[in-house]
Amino acid sequence: MKKQKNILSVLSPYAYITPISLILLTFVAGSLIIAVCFSFTKYNIITPAKFNGLFNYQKLLRDSKLRQCIMNTVKITLMAVPLQILISTALAALIASRKDTLLGKFAKASLFIPVLSSNAVVGTIWKAILNGGHPAVSFLFGLVGLDPTMLLGDSTSAIITLSMIIVWKSMGYYMIITLSSLMSIPDNYYEAARVDGANSWNIFSRITIPLLKPTLILNTFLAIISSMQVFDIVYTMTGGGPSMSTTTMVMYAYQLTFKGGKAGYAMTVSNVLMLMVLVVVLFQQRFMKREASEI
Amino acid sequence: MKKLSHIAGDLVLIFIALLCVLPFVYMILMSLKSTLNAYDFSFSLSSLTTEHYRKIFSGGTIGRYLLNSIIIAFAGVALTLFTSCTAGFAFAKLKFKGNDKIFLLLILTMLVPSEVILVPLYIVVRGLGWVNTFKALILPLPTAFGVFIMRQAILGIPNELMESARIDGASNLKILWTVILPLVKSAMLTLSIFTFIGAWNNFTWPLIITTNDTMRTLPLALTTMKAQYDVDVGLTMACSVITFLPPFIFYLLLQSKFEAGVALNGLKG
Repeated sequence: MKKQKNILSVLSPYAYITPISLILLTFVAGSLIIAVCFSFTKYNIITPAKFNGLFNYQKLLRDSKLRQCIMNTVKITLMAVPLQILISTALAALIASRKDTLLGKFAKASLFIPVLSSNAVVGTIWKAILNGGHPAVSFLFGLVGLDPTMLLGDSTSAIITLSMIIVWKSMGYYMIITLSSLMSIPDNYYEAARVDGANSWNIFSRITIPLLKPTLILNTFLAIISSMQVFDIVYTMTGGGPSMSTTTMVMYAYQLTFKGGKAGYAMTVSNVLMLMVLVVVLFQQRFMKREASEI
Repeated sequence: MKKLSHIAGDLVLIFIALLCVLPFVYMILMSLKSTLNAYDFSFSLSSLTTEHYRKIFSGGTIGRYLLNSIIIAFAGVALTLFTSCTAGFAFAKLKFKGNDKIFLLLILTMLVPSEVILVPLYIVVRGLGWVNTFKALILPLPTAFGVFIMRQAILGIPNELMESARIDGASNLKILWTVILPLVKSAMLTLSIFTFIGAWNNFTWPLIITTNDTMRTLPLALTTMKAQYDVDVGLTMACSVITFLPPFIFYLLLQSKFEAGVALNGLKG
């Protein structure tokens, strides 16, 4: 009797971690295993998969569409990430110096509204705004010489527009992260600098920026990782077009599976993207560690 | 000079704030116009109508989408709280072999980018025969992030509180329920909000795993409606408003929780 109770008390902790372990094992580990196994097969999700060795991996090298999708993903990253970091940092600095004013609070709350919204909602609203032909919208875009109804129809302007909407959607997110680390800089640093006669630009570039560096690096990596995985906004706004000019890698894997009947190859493409993201994550870990050891 | 740069900063903030808010104002105004005059831009109050909202709430296809979204978001929150609190408690306070290693293993799953495994996840769930089921829409929602949050919160509770309950003969389950959980309500609330918003806003997974109207969720209405009813701008915008409102209302009520959660990287940008 006593022994039985002992076994139970040894086993009972495992009961607490079983539900989440089963879920993660099935859906995350299961998906990773499936992705690796099926990437060596020809599979169209209807008939059983057929092993075809390294065929899919060889195909990666000559797939010009994949090359274009990687380029599109790189373009979005190069356009969106620097703007996200620059704008969010500038806004955080502006809001920090007005944190108790009505304007500061209003700006902070407003910037967060796009962050809260579903990508599907963001895509739908912006599409309606751009294509709706509202006189006020046409007027505002006309000020900078643009016709809003044409933006999504042209390969070059479509991907720029998407990148800008991604910036619009997430700048508030990075702003909040930067703001919270700005607030943690002790006031006496600034006071000491002011006593020494530093002007506000000196203070910003010599004190604020160096102390923010770990946060800015974190934001940069978060932004890169999320821009590599863009899907919903593209799906709702352009569907990948015109002529694949906005098809991202995730979008390509989706189309291969559900429109092209090439699920096996789609998983090979997913694995490539997975490796790319993991490389970025490893870089991030190294960078953050180095930063942490410097402080 | 200093005044001037301050005013310039004010203007930049006003401009950016309007840039963030006005598209949503446009969404709300468009949702209140009847479809016939959706692109007639003379905004007079008399031409506003609530017909799109009545249509959504009167049941039918979009009503069903809305109901599904509500069921999935609430079930997702309940399941996430259950799995995260039990596992977080075990990892923080119970001694068992492999505690640290299993925890690290679970945390490693957070490195797997969610959008990247969509296709293999679809194959897994399809293999289980769960296409077009609530199981498929709800069960993958909990993540290791929830376990991480709850473990951190529970680690902060002094062991003495648990010991005194244990001396009174309370079981682990009772300790969790009566001693621990009341003390980590704040973390549970943060986790609930982020899970709710994540599930509510989720677009890609329901898009992939549902094929019929009885299982679709509200964000999908934004794209599927176009094919079915031609483009009905007013109705699309009304759906956008309803998809947008719950996260927005939560934010208005619990602004500080959101900022704390973002600092923990709990909501995707």
